Amino acid sequence: MKPQRIIAVMVKELRELARDPVTIWASLLMPLTLLMLFGYAISLDVKNISMGVWDLDRTPRSRALVDAFLQSGYFNLHGVYRQAAEMDAALQRGEIKLAMVIPARFHAALERHDTATVQLLVDGTFSNTAQIVANYADAIVAQFHVPDARPVTAVRPEIRVWYNAQMRSVNYIVPGLFAVILLAFPPLLTTLGIVREKESGSIQQIFASPLTGPEFLLGKLLPYGLIAFLQILLVSVFGIAWFDVPMRGSWWLLLGAGLIYVLCTVGIGLLVSTLARKQVVAMLLALVVTLMPSFLYSGFLFPIFTMPVHSQWYASAFPGRYYVDIARAVVMKGAELGDIWRNMVWLLLYTAVVFALATWRFRKKVA
Amino acid sequence: VGTRFVSLLVKESIQFCRDKAMLALILFFYTLDTVMCTMALTFDVKDLELAVVDLDASSVSRQLIERFTVAQEFKVVGYPRSEAEAEAWLQSGRAMIVLIVPRDFAGDLLQAKAPQVQLVVDGTNSNIAAIARGYVLKIITAYSSAWSQRAGPSVPVYLLPSHSLSVQPLTRIRYNQNLEFSSFMVLSMIALAAMMVGVVQPAASIVREKEVGTVEQLLVTPITTAELFIAKTLPTLLMCLLAVFPGLLVVRAFDVPLRGSLPLFLALTTLFLISAIGLGVLIASVTKTLQQALLTSVFGLIPILFLSGTLAPVESMPRILQTVSLASPLRHYMEIILGVFLKGAGIAELWPQALALLAIGTVLLTAAALAFRRR
Repeated sequence: MKPQRIIAVMVKELRELARDPVTIWASLLMPLTLLMLFGYAISLDVKNISMGVWDLDRTPRSRALVDAFLQSGYFNLHGVYRQAAEMDAALQRGEIKLAMVIPARFHAALERHDTATVQLLVDGTFSNTAQIVANYADAIVAQFHVPDARPVTAVRPEIRVWYNAQMRSVNYIVPGLFAVILLAFPPLLTTLGIVREKESGSIQQIFASPLTGPEFLLGKLLPYGLIAFLQILLVSVFGIAWFDVPMRGSWWLLLGAGLIYVLCTVGIGLLVSTLARKQVVAMLLALVVTLMPSFLYSGFLFPIFTMPVHSQWYASAFPGRYYVDIARAVVMKGAELGDIWRNMVWLLLYTAVVFALATWRFRKKVA
Repeated sequence: VGTRFVSLLVKESIQFCRDKAMLALILFFYTLDTVMCTMALTFDVKDLELAVVDLDASSVSRQLIERFTVAQEFKVVGYPRSEAEAEAWLQSGRAMIVLIVPRDFAGDLLQAKAPQVQLVVDGTNSNIAAIARGYVLKIITAYSSAWSQRAGPSVPVYLLPSHSLSVQPLTRIRYNQNLEFSSFMVLSMIALAAMMVGVVQPAASIVREKEVGTVEQLLVTPITTAELFIAKTLPTLLMCLLAVFPGLLVVRAFDVPLRGSLPLFLALTTLFLISAIGLGVLIASVTKTLQQALLTSVFGLIPILFLSGTLAPVESMPRILQTVSLASPLRHYMEIILGVFLKGAGIAELWPQALALLAIGTVLLTAAALAFRRR
């Protein structure tokens, strides 16, 4: 391996990139666009739930219960109904997510110190939201203050939420996005960069030169790795600043782990490029092994620990989940190397394997 | 005109069926991919990793802890000795929730001093944290009221609360009683498959003819643009409609009921596919190479996908994005597919969505036809 040959490939590659400003701008702007889009669009916070009320009692007490819902800040009153059919239709059309039926004699029952039952109907189509809506509603009803009833608490729960006390979902969506975006773009760019040479035939000239396989791959890796690192820098700094995500850990750790991660994703791009001859095939392959799993199987949106075991293995086969964990731990928990070393080791191993495979595949092609 | 059109249609259909990779891809999206994702991807929360710090270590505190160990929502990962150790577990991600039972828990409980149980929840994933908080409250409330009702002999009668709860919520979940995410997921994967295939297939098939140059041969024949346009899109439409049927089998396999009418579903699916195909043709007419076409469709599909409510609920988005999402055909189709399958909705409820699809489809098809002709 001769350094000057690697540098020569690098210089050639950088020149080629410099002549193609569209690609450079696209590769810097696309991640930012995705960051903005997802930062705003993906929110699992449940708020402004539209609810409907069918109040058969119509007393100050029943109105107080409705007020308790509205004052909680989670619910908006969408409609007050006079008939069961009206309420059902609203639920059916999806106008309301929660319907509350307050029975006649609600007030009277409470006056007599009887237990009054309030019916809550929740639209269960999106089960996740439904679960949270049901929890909120149950809690509001259970805490509904009845003046002279004695409190019932044999045990008082005190629940504290750490790392994300206001439970903003953007706080965990944004660090997760770093991993997703960097698994989507760098491999694609790298793959296309190499397969383009295969398609146009210029790779034959490289085969004919004294350049060895690893030298060629390294020369290709560094420029694309540089772009990928610019991407991670841009996305991390911009994402944390713009969305006002509290950064509790060290930037060095986040970016250091990020560097390993982008080398890994660029490596995947190199590997894919050794497998495909045509740009289209390379692109589809890159999408199947990077884009789809990075969204669905990285723990970015869907938690991995609830998956069936074989799907968990599948998820472990892609580097996204390791960096999602690292980024969230560093940003939200202020984790240090001691807390995340396991994920770092996996990431390093993964990168090494990807490079070994790419070099091996590439050498076979030269022969 | 008739024979000319028919022969063109036959040529397109043959070409479509020869493309084994595309057929395999379509089938993959509708069956294997749907099954895999439905099984794996869920927001349902179970097996939450719970660490218990039992500072009381009495038979009473163990009773409370047992309520957590038997609940399938929780999985006890261990018993740290101290609060500090438990915090370290939370930090390293070994546990997601820590339950701390205070010293003198049993004593305070017996004296009706209402002891405080502490729970620390890892809020990193705010969604899971919100659900976990609900589970915890439910278990402790149940324990609390069971304790007051059982009223052990040592609890003085005058300290007992008169009733457990003055207002009792009776919560019922409609349309999806067991709150299973799989029924939502399988339907949304079918909708996604229709969207992807509907856009990518026509885009790829038209651009390929441009790239190879055979489009010139078509242009010198007496075929009109309209005929070519219809012949290019009709096989995709039919194929996508046919592909819905294996999808329906998958839906059935996941025990998702079809409460509405199948013909209505197919009719609205056709409407949706037309707008997807319109988008595909539009992409094909503005791009020159297959690579450009594929890149454009992938990056065009991503926002459509994420603004559709398939992965994250539309109601939680900022108002502007909610308005923008009205332009995404997938959003209306999601409401249709969920409505027809889970709610048994008919055209009386779904006409606004159908109208929206019609409008989007008309705009896209007109734009596509115009761009198509100009070439």
